[in-house]
Amino acid sequence: MIEYERKGWIDSITWRFSRVAMLMPAFLVLIMMYEVFMRYVLERPTVWVTEMSLWVGGWIYLTAGLYAMQQRAHIRITLLYDVVPRWLKRLLDVVSVLLIVLWALATVWGGFNEAWDALINWERFGTAWDPPIPATTQPLILVVMVIMAIQAVSNLITDWDDVGSPAAVNEFEAEIEELKRAQGMADVNTSTGEGVTNNPSVGR
Amino acid sequence: MDIGTISLVLLVSLLALLAIGMPLGFASGIMAVVVLVMKFGPELLFSDFGRGPLNILVQRMYGLTTDYVLISVPLFIFMATLLERSGIARDMYTCLSQWLSRTRGGIALVTSVMAVVMAAMSGIIGGEVVLLGLIALPQMLRLGYDQNLAVGTICASGSLGTMIPPSIVLIMYGLITETSIHALFKAAFVPGFILAILYMVYIIIRTRITPSLAPLPEPSPDDMDGRTKAIYGAALIAGLVGFALLVLIVRAFALDYFDNITEEHSMVGNGFIRNAGIAIGALLAFLLFFIRPKRALAAWRAGKGMVAPLLIVFIVLGSIYGGVTGITEAAAMGAAAVLVLIILRGEFSFGLIHEALMRTFKSTGTIIWVTFGATALAGAYTISGGPTYVANLILGADLPTLGVLMTMMLIFLFMGAFMDWVGIVLLVMPVFLPIVMKLPIEEIGLFSPFLDARTFVPIWFGILFCVNMQVSFLSPPFGPAAFYLKSVAPPHITLPQIFRGFLPFIGIQLLVLMAVLFFPELTMFFR
Repeated sequence: MIEYERKGWIDSITWRFSRVAMLMPAFLVLIMMYEVFMRYVLERPTVWVTEMSLWVGGWIYLTAGLYAMQQRAHIRITLLYDVVPRWLKRLLDVVSVLLIVLWALATVWGGFNEAWDALINWERFGTAWDPPIPATTQPLILVVMVIMAIQAVSNLITDWDDVGSPAAVNEFEAEIEELKRAQGMADVNTSTGEGVTNNPSVGR
Repeated sequence: MDIGTISLVLLVSLLALLAIGMPLGFASGIMAVVVLVMKFGPELLFSDFGRGPLNILVQRMYGLTTDYVLISVPLFIFMATLLERSGIARDMYTCLSQWLSRTRGGIALVTSVMAVVMAAMSGIIGGEVVLLGLIALPQMLRLGYDQNLAVGTICASGSLGTMIPPSIVLIMYGLITETSIHALFKAAFVPGFILAILYMVYIIIRTRITPSLAPLPEPSPDDMDGRTKAIYGAALIAGLVGFALLVLIVRAFALDYFDNITEEHSMVGNGFIRNAGIAIGALLAFLLFFIRPKRALAAWRAGKGMVAPLLIVFIVLGSIYGGVTGITEAAAMGAAAVLVLIILRGEFSFGLIHEALMRTFKSTGTIIWVTFGATALAGAYTISGGPTYVANLILGADLPTLGVLMTMMLIFLFMGAFMDWVGIVLLVMPVFLPIVMKLPIEEIGLFSPFLDARTFVPIWFGILFCVNMQVSFLSPPFGPAAFYLKSVAPPHITLPQIFRGFLPFIGIQLLVLMAVLFFPELTMFFR
């Protein structure tokens, strides 16, 4: 996968953080295998794997969105966006980012007390292993929302000069090239990537 | 503000935000805030920092982060990205095409069979279409297959990934509507296979009527003749049955040893082991004395390309249906199995894992944040009384039951042509499903099969939705399958040509859609 280049220090921070965070799915596979092994082979099911997966899972969802934002990969429909002149694109981007910031602010406005209470009282999940999921995940939602908004503003500033560049298309092509290599069929043909409108993520 | 106005403003502004290229998840998120402002007024909403109705936004998101089944989404994506980077699919193609190369339309059939097996491994399209496009399309074009047939086969079969369980669409549907995902998976089996079989029947009929659509390759000395195929096939089936019996015996002993299952389930004391042992002996004798070791070995070489894929299917679907583990753990086991196979095949490298993890993380972020935004919006709209309003609107229109259902199908098909399926599940389902639940039960389906199974209605509706989304993957102007294929097809194949190739397959999908709509019994075989 060709990653979107890092521009500016906010991109760098998100990118470095994501390097570590992206190991979490592999960690999940690992502990779930351990649980299956313990349950069916040694017949001593663990108490912590399910709750640990819940905990880690929530963190994956939240931080993965941040990485997707830094990679400019969030699903959007660019049918109209692609045909308008550059000054209008900039205007539309400003509107989008402004609304994202507003959403983040509104979320913090409505959820701050509850998240703060959960953190201060170190609220636990109320299960056998009893991890502090509410105490950590609820504040994390708000933190990620705020960083996401900052990242969106940073994207707007750093991309100002090449708004509407066909970066997404090039990246998609690069990924296809990588798959061709993996299948040992490089240079079978060349793609044009024409008309790719929304972000083609694997998980559709 | 009254809910009618709110609904109208919501619809118009959401469309406007999507049109200006705002990411789907964030557009839904900010619309959730707008709905709350319209409902409660800014004074009440922003009077106290840290509390108030806006709390629903965090509440809904937190609810998702603690959902166990949702974890299967990143895990299935991880598994799919690993599969794409291994040679498992390519070997499966080589293996299958040996068997079907002398059949008219053989490579197209191989493509469909491959697609079904891959669909049963993981529940994601995209990767599947790209893989089939990379592996099968060049072969079909080289042999001179009709381009429309080739393109349509690849994309239609490749989309089956989200129809045949495990399916990411059904997982999301189950999550949002609080329907049993297990039940959904069971219900999707028959319609999914009907679709696959109809695709194959279509290929066979088309190529029989017009053989020029699918020229046969030049005969080569390596081709197996009919007799060899029969012998090899018999040998492989014998081997498979023997292996299955062996697994059952081991299972019986293991259960007996751990003694955590009652006597009649462990099957140890009741002669099963003896009978199975005799059967295995007979099969071994058959392989040794009738097939002969030399030919058995050759048969193994002709069939081993299928071993890895079937093993993965067995692990994933076996643990879900066998009640061994839940869907999430099955996804983890699938990912681990693919990883082990990659290591065994000598394809492992840290670069590969790193690539796969990076892809997984990015795809997870994009899918889940659409979900986050949409769940916030659904929450805000619900506390504003939206779903009830829309339900009364539609029920009050005095449409016949069939009319209501047909309208919904049309809305799904229309939205599916423009929007991602995740968005549709999250935004439309909370409104539509309650309406469907209120419809007179005896009027659904030609033979009203729900009279004594009212709880099955949401499951049936989920399958109906899933078939709708099959159409949406192929329908212009945004059918994702077309774009995936375009990215790996030779440049002279244009998008309009690709969409033209889809037409007969869309016809088949609509046929199945109508069948499921009129005969819900199709989804009720494994209840």
